[in-house]
Amino acid sequence: MIHLVTDSTSDIAPSDAQALGVHVVPLIVRFGEEQYRDGVDIDADQFYAKLERSDVHPTTSQPSPDAFASLYRTLLADPQDEVVGLHISTKLSGTLQSATLAAQEFDTARIHLVDTESVSGGLQLLVRAAVDDIKAGDTATAVAEKATRRRSKVTIVVLLDTLTYLHRGGRIGRAQAFVGSLLNVKPLIAVRDGEVVPLARPRSLSKGIDMIVEQVRGCAPLRGLAEFHAAASESMVELESRLGTAVSNVTAVLGRIGPVVGAYSGPGGIGVACLGAD
Amino acid sequence: MRRTTVSATKPAPELAVLREPLREIGGEQVLAGLTAALSWLEANQQEINDLNVFPVPDGDTGSNMYLTLRSAVEEARDAPSPEAADSVLAAAAHGSLMGARGNSGVILSQILRGFAQGSSQRPRLDAGGVALAMTEASAVAYRAVMKPTEGTILTVVRDAASAAAAASTTTDDIRVVLDRVVTEAHAAVERTTDQLQVLREANVVDAGGFGLAVILEGFARAVGDTSATAPAPALVRRSGEPALRLPPNPGDLEATGSAMPRRGAAAVAPREQGWGYCTEFLISGPGLDVDSIRTELSALGESALVVGDPDLVRVHIHTGDPAGLIAAASSRGRMSKLKVEDMSAQHHDVLERADAREAESAADAVGTAVDERTQAPPKPIGVASVAPGDGFREIMGSLGADSIVSGGQTMNPSIEDLLNGVLAVNAEHVILLPNNVNVILTAEQVDPLAEGCEVRVVPTSNLPQGIAALLAFDPSASLDENCDRMLAAIATVRAVEVTRAVRDTKVNGHNIKVGDVIAVVDDVITEVGSEYLNVIEAVLNAEAKKPELVTVYRGQEVSADEADALVASLRETHPGTEFELQAGGQEHYPYVLSLE
Repeated sequence: MIHLVTDSTSDIAPSDAQALGVHVVPLIVRFGEEQYRDGVDIDADQFYAKLERSDVHPTTSQPSPDAFASLYRTLLADPQDEVVGLHISTKLSGTLQSATLAAQEFDTARIHLVDTESVSGGLQLLVRAAVDDIKAGDTATAVAEKATRRRSKVTIVVLLDTLTYLHRGGRIGRAQAFVGSLLNVKPLIAVRDGEVVPLARPRSLSKGIDMIVEQVRGCAPLRGLAEFHAAASESMVELESRLGTAVSNVTAVLGRIGPVVGAYSGPGGIGVACLGAD
Repeated sequence: MRRTTVSATKPAPELAVLREPLREIGGEQVLAGLTAALSWLEANQQEINDLNVFPVPDGDTGSNMYLTLRSAVEEARDAPSPEAADSVLAAAAHGSLMGARGNSGVILSQILRGFAQGSSQRPRLDAGGVALAMTEASAVAYRAVMKPTEGTILTVVRDAASAAAAASTTTDDIRVVLDRVVTEAHAAVERTTDQLQVLREANVVDAGGFGLAVILEGFARAVGDTSATAPAPALVRRSGEPALRLPPNPGDLEATGSAMPRRGAAAVAPREQGWGYCTEFLISGPGLDVDSIRTELSALGESALVVGDPDLVRVHIHTGDPAGLIAAASSRGRMSKLKVEDMSAQHHDVLERADAREAESAADAVGTAVDERTQAPPKPIGVASVAPGDGFREIMGSLGADSIVSGGQTMNPSIEDLLNGVLAVNAEHVILLPNNVNVILTAEQVDPLAEGCEVRVVPTSNLPQGIAALLAFDPSASLDENCDRMLAAIATVRAVEVTRAVRDTKVNGHNIKVGDVIAVVDDVITEVGSEYLNVIEAVLNAEAKKPELVTVYRGQEVSADEADALVASLRETHPGTEFELQAGGQEHYPYVLSLE
């Protein structure tokens, strides 16, 4: 049997993970001394409420190698079983590093780890596609290879309210070019080759959504589409309706930007991930 | 008020025959002509500025033409072969190009370029040569403008060239040819009123055309006329018209023993305080506050021109107390290229020494700049942007403009200013944002001059468009992609510029009185009223599509409190629109709004 493992930055809802048979290893989010497992001890609503109240800025950390090791131990109990691990971009997190360390305890041929160069909805779409591959009877090696090939077909664009959180968290990459604007702008960023890159600086939500729709259209034909928001349900409604008219042939996965990713996007962000057809 | 000009130089025919015909001119006469044209233009500079049609304070045609021609004359003085007409004209053409600012300045530089081209390989010009050069001047000027408009400086140069061509077939006397040219130029200026709707409504002649006629007049009066005692020109003045200042009478020049006075002194009543000293210098930064330097120094004299950026400010002021001016300026930063010219008397020796020093230090400065540029490798792409006011400079810098050229409505940057701004970017490809209708043409001349980099102008005609273009800039995209993005972005904003009328006029069916608040929406006057708030309200209410976001840039003359109050009122009356207030620091326009 092939077990699919991902991490909590895939922002996959626990109920969906369970239904799909996907194992989710949580990253850690901290407010000062307080420490929470992403999606286990704290959910998105609780996180944004806390973010608003808290004086300290949240920090995050990758899961410990132990967290992976104990999961792998369970999953690989049967000598026939294998693990495919799809994880957040190594340019954004050390999660895959922990997984790789953990895997060394085992027969590495049985653990197939992939740097998806992706995050959040993008990572989730790759996980969902891998679930399909497993169902279709692919080998673990084939599943991992397909995921690796598909990562170039993932587009992630996020319209942020501010770059402050990304900047403070040091995950800004080339979006640095957007820092310092004296005008209020809604930075539109993308994750490309595993990194955060600047796309545009629309000055209003509506223009930003126009740009998101344009990006999504550029990815057609689509295999999967995910729409996410960080405590921005009103903007999300508008995004959904605009995308609904623009893209009709795929069912979108709707979700929240979870605590760990939310620590970098900050509240108010809306985003889209899409996966082009194979 | 109808402003008209009358040729003051039509000679009485019998006098013309008394003089020896002037069959050839060389470099010295051309330089004397250009120098005289410059003096005469300076004397008429304000009058040309005042011909400004638009009731918004952009009356700088005269100043722009003057600065352009001054740059031409300065370089012509240093022509490699001073005795050769072609050498002097080529130097003048190059100088005018580097110093060109404003639309009329750029067209003037093209006229000089054409004149120089038409005279190439001709160290001495005869009447036919002058006519040929004039024809080429007209052709080159027309080519420089994408959509030539009749009733402008172009019409005047063309008609003047036709007159030269016609005259040269009947006479070999250059004086006669030039007299015809001047007469026809003024006649053409008169006709501009009927050729352009805006001029007809305002009942004025075209300012740039008038400026060219003044230049031709000054040139004609000095060329080859350095020894003859010319008769006083017949002066026709219509009643009720502003006094027409006369070009300097060559006879008087002889008396003062100089080539040309700095001012058209002959016919102008002497001022009680005298002409004072034309004082020019540079102040080096860093951290210069251009606006505050301008305010302080302008108070110490007249005809003040204070332009530059935090690193370098150029000052040109006529003052009776140059020592006081220098003292005030030296407290602001390191001074260089100081030049004090006594405008009443003549201090040619002093001047020539100053010029030599200036040439030396200019050469040094260029060397330094090149050295500095070679230190860092150029980046692939960057942006140079024109901005008035500290607020806009900061905002544009924060949006990623690599270099900001000071300038805007009434202080159009020269080609050289823009070129320096472009080179300061230190990139292989530079996008230049003029951010003002009157700077676009100047900006378009920069590319061929910028060695080692490709310059593309995205024709932003106002500041909101410039900001929109900068917001669209992506340093990782190609030049073409960026230009496309910027062009698309500028189409999404509407610019509203709010100011007070500086004159009574009638434009677009609006009867405008001095002091009225007027709103210019995308370069068209659309609303007139008495209060800023009412006029802005009217503009917003007239928008077919309610703007989502309005950015209000407050000008230098508006206090933060005043602007806060205005924006608070707008927020109340336009609940669906987001308002953002920024300090733009621009002059002349209390409010600039960007509608998105």
